[in-house]
Amino acid sequence: MTAPAATPHKSFSLARVYAIGSNTLLELVRLKVFYFLLLFALLGIGVSFFTSKMTFQEQSQVLKHAALGMMSIFTWLLAVLATAMLLPKDIEERTLYTILAKPVPRLEYLLGKLTGVLALLAIALVVMVAMFTLVLYAQQQSALAAVASQLAPGPDLEAARQQVRADTFTANLVPGIALIYVKAAVCAAVTLLLSTFASSAIFTIIVSVMVFIIGHVQPIAREYLMITEKGASELARFFLGLVALLIPDMRAFTLLDDLAVAIPFELFMQTAGLGVLYVTVYFLVGYLVFAGKEL
Amino acid sequence: MATPAISIQNLTKLYPIPFKREKVTAVKDLSLTVEPGQVYGLLGPNGSGKSTTMKIVLGLVSPTAGKTEIFGRDSTTVESREDVGFLPENPYFYKFLTGAETMAFFGKLCGLSGARLRERTKELLALVGLENAADRRLGGYSKGMLQRIGLAQAMVQEPRLLVLDEPTAGVDPAGSREIRDLILDFKKRGITVLLCSHLLGQVQEICDRIGILHQGVLVREGRLGDLISIENQTELILENATPELLAEIQAAVGRSNGRVVEQRQPQTTLERYFLEVTGSPERVIGDR
Repeated sequence: MTAPAATPHKSFSLARVYAIGSNTLLELVRLKVFYFLLLFALLGIGVSFFTSKMTFQEQSQVLKHAALGMMSIFTWLLAVLATAMLLPKDIEERTLYTILAKPVPRLEYLLGKLTGVLALLAIALVVMVAMFTLVLYAQQQSALAAVASQLAPGPDLEAARQQVRADTFTANLVPGIALIYVKAAVCAAVTLLLSTFASSAIFTIIVSVMVFIIGHVQPIAREYLMITEKGASELARFFLGLVALLIPDMRAFTLLDDLAVAIPFELFMQTAGLGVLYVTVYFLVGYLVFAGKEL
Repeated sequence: MATPAISIQNLTKLYPIPFKREKVTAVKDLSLTVEPGQVYGLLGPNGSGKSTTMKIVLGLVSPTAGKTEIFGRDSTTVESREDVGFLPENPYFYKFLTGAETMAFFGKLCGLSGARLRERTKELLALVGLENAADRRLGGYSKGMLQRIGLAQAMVQEPRLLVLDEPTAGVDPAGSREIRDLILDFKKRGITVLLCSHLLGQVQEICDRIGILHQGVLVREGRLGDLISIENQTELILENATPELLAEIQAAVGRSNGRVVEQRQPQTTLERYFLEVTGSPERVIGDR
């Protein structure tokens, strides 16, 4: 009896990337990472109680700032914690051997892992946005009812209603939330890069947190470099230049300091494009490290 | 002449020692060939270089020197693994997946999908006797069940070569015999098997050729029968022989240049005895 014939090989397969990505998502879901969303819901309820004595505009501002801040923190935490344990776990439990013994290029393995985490972040953010929207909508309805009870039907009432609606769902919320996702994606890519050469998940997490913090103070370092160019030592300038090159500017993704100001479309696209570039570069560097790694 | 299933030429692997100049030699100038359709046993004590050799053949580790090929393809390339199924020692799978999900995952990695994948999953789970545990997570599987799901995933893409690392380690005698029978069935189907095992009795039953590694060097290699035969002795097993017949044979041997080395009653194997006592009859593949 003859053995099966030789199998042709596809050098790159989206199906393989999808298989690894969906498996990664399933792994993270079965680890019950979504339970943290309960915490988000509880915090949202807490904010509502805290602001119950404020005016509608004040309530709306506080809720938006609090919700967006929490979304940013939670997605960042999820990105770092979920990504940090993926590779070390596969290496320690040696599931990586079984996968790479199949015709799976290391590029596809790593891309699948990153895709799985990005899918998890998207789902988590969608759930948080849904909760946030519900609370905002409830607030809006409450404000509309209050306005209707205070004003007689007529143009003034209609104008007041329009104002309530305009103050609730402002146009810059959507790009702001999109940039929260981009920022979390950048954090996930940085964490994945660190995990390709780190010896443990804890080390990866600690360094990722440091990168996140340095990323937020990096603009200050850049400004210092520009202002004190003549006075700063060569070593300091070199070090600050290296930091600016290696660590992403996290503040660039925070365009919602003033919720009343609309984010220009061009600025949004530039910022999102910068995020995609960061993710791509960090991923490719991580792949180069991983490709040469002895298992 | 058929392309060898595995061709290893002058393989050397050195591992650096951190903060030191010298290196550890895991494998030294190893050359061997496994022909298609053979069951080849790669043996050796712990630390002899078997796992390193296997990892290099599978493309998981790069050689320091030398070349390895699978059916003529360089084993450092991903495409060479299209034809290979691997069962690791202490199977390394995702414990959060069920048996069926594990098969589906590895099947997709090998390019299977849709109805073909479902059909292949069902077929292999039945072959290894896990159809009733298909929906249970691997975290709840016994050692023997993990070995079986490992064999099933190794077979998912109908490979031409199977690399099995301690396939029966930690498995009870009944399960061990079933795995042995599966390997013999693979051989009948023309699938090449590279087997690493410390269970020399099993290796003796199923392997055509063996290679013995010691401290990274191939010290013996060849057909099993040739290597372990005692050249100047002949075994003769008689049934219902009378004492008179035995005496005649002894006398005839005494008249010649030969010598009766030993006269004893042959023994069954402990494995067969154990299976008889525990009521686990020998099963033929496909008898489920």
